[in-house]
Amino acid sequence: MIVLRLLVGRVLLSLVTLLLVSLLIFLILEVLPGDVASRILGRDATPEVLATLRAQLQLDDPAAVRYLRWLAGVLQGDFGKALTSSRPIGQILGPRIFNTILLSAYAFLIYIPLALVPALIQAVNRDRPIDHALSTVTLVLLSVPDFLLATLLMIGFVVMIPVLPAISLVDDTSTVWQYVRAMTLPAVTLAIVMAVYAVRMLRDNLIEVLDSEYVRMAELKGLSPRLVLLRHALPNALVPTLNVTALNLAYLIGGVVIVEKVFSYPGFGSLLVDSLQLRDLPVIEATVMIAASVYIGANLLADIGAILLNPRLRSG
Amino acid sequence: MVLAVTGPASRWRRALLAWRRSPVSFRAGAALLLVHAIVAATGPFWAPYGLSQMGTGAPLAGMSWSHPFGVDQLGRDIFSRVVHGGHIVLLLSLSGTFLGLVVGAVIGLLSGYVRGWIDEALQRVLEALISIPFLVLALIAIAAAGPELSGNPLLVILVVALVYAPRIARIARAAALDIVTRDFVTVARLRGESAWSVMRRELLPNASGVLLVEFALRAGYAPVLIGSLGFLGFGMRPPTPEWGLMISENRALIIVSPITVLGPGLTLASLVVGLNLFTEGLARILGRTVRRADK
Repeated sequence: MIVLRLLVGRVLLSLVTLLLVSLLIFLILEVLPGDVASRILGRDATPEVLATLRAQLQLDDPAAVRYLRWLAGVLQGDFGKALTSSRPIGQILGPRIFNTILLSAYAFLIYIPLALVPALIQAVNRDRPIDHALSTVTLVLLSVPDFLLATLLMIGFVVMIPVLPAISLVDDTSTVWQYVRAMTLPAVTLAIVMAVYAVRMLRDNLIEVLDSEYVRMAELKGLSPRLVLLRHALPNALVPTLNVTALNLAYLIGGVVIVEKVFSYPGFGSLLVDSLQLRDLPVIEATVMIAASVYIGANLLADIGAILLNPRLRSG
Repeated sequence: MVLAVTGPASRWRRALLAWRRSPVSFRAGAALLLVHAIVAATGPFWAPYGLSQMGTGAPLAGMSWSHPFGVDQLGRDIFSRVVHGGHIVLLLSLSGTFLGLVVGAVIGLLSGYVRGWIDEALQRVLEALISIPFLVLALIAIAAAGPELSGNPLLVILVVALVYAPRIARIARAAALDIVTRDFVTVARLRGESAWSVMRRELLPNASGVLLVEFALRAGYAPVLIGSLGFLGFGMRPPTPEWGLMISENRALIIVSPITVLGPGLTLASLVVGLNLFTEGLARILGRTVRRADK
């Protein structure tokens, strides 16, 4: 019962946060200089034309009314129309979100071994040179900004060893192979950034678990070191790392903004940057809302995981 | 250690002793930061060329003794530009983070002390601000500021503070919740001190360790945030020699001359490595752990 109450409370809190985010975004963008009508028509528009468009877009209503109308639309999945192309935003978002989900899935696939292998090597060889070397590498990587990492990978695999494309443009005519080639560098960038945090955490957790009584016991029973490590130590060390992974999902939504832009990958992140550059208000609102929802969702998952995995709450 | 020794001479000895006992990471980080600070402070006086001086060499010339980081498309010496950019990156990062720290600490500590509905409401708003990925929040804040302010260093400082203040406030509030249970806070309250003075005289000194580590951690990420904004074209404007912006300017020609990107890139990375090492060492000295949960 306690668990259920905690979970419901946590979900409700997330919904409140989401509602506040929508209000904040609306308020921040409300202060953008010049209203939507003058931005569509440019500076030379006559006052009459401006007034007509304002009436058409219902911009003369009070801000509160416009916010509620926008919110009602969002709740029904209708984000309005883009200013620049006057296409429905849902249509623009669809393929972009699809591309970003593909990219994220690919990045996660690379992320798992990239996080596990170095952490296992470090934990087994604790305080030996290889452990220190890998610690130094992860600390340095921790300090390399993602746009720099992306550029370095580009220098490596586009300039020095030309095996991958510098520009990751894909569309619905691209083949699977083209998609894989296009997504490799952006996915590797994201995977490295995510794995660095996980490696550092997993190494410490593994070492802690390897020192515990039950692992000693397993060793004394005569189990092979490999079995002890993989069967007994790893699963227990993974629990806190799951939390990092959920937070990494939250990072991903900001990370794709940079990485997609670097590689000109037509995903959700580059759409956000483009819409900001074009000052396309409805698209900005839609993308930021989605980014915040994913962030809140990822944190919610991390919290739910923590509640469910907490043995002290299990009996309740 | 002899604790009885006092006086100005022994203070230096104690500092020296503390330095010798400090973790290697702390010393390495501090040394790196010192180098960056010296370059930032003195660089404009000894940089071989001016920050926008053109025709210093053949455009896109590679690495050489006279141009360690090469020459860009416009014939500007990249090394000189990186050196000239040092104080810009450091000043923007530190002042933005510091502003975020002050605002965040005041909000967090007061909110944790006063409690009640004010605290509850503030928590929800901060939570909402944190829920917008920080780069996205920074980008929409810059878009909202409008084109007149774009490239203004003050705007960049304000945006860094806006991104950090809610995150620092959350840490400060957690620290305050722990401190308010102590007797000296109760005594101060019973003396009739105002919330502001309790915060300043009781909470702030006791939260200073937490806040110091938090400041160092955030300051370590600020150059990356500022660089990211510059890189995307939302931060400083050309010809400012901000390193992220320089990476984006020279990126189109990495095939011809990769060093023009590597120079500013590795300089930026070395600053962040220094700040990270310093933070980890500092945290260990103060007996705290570094929370890197939200990047």
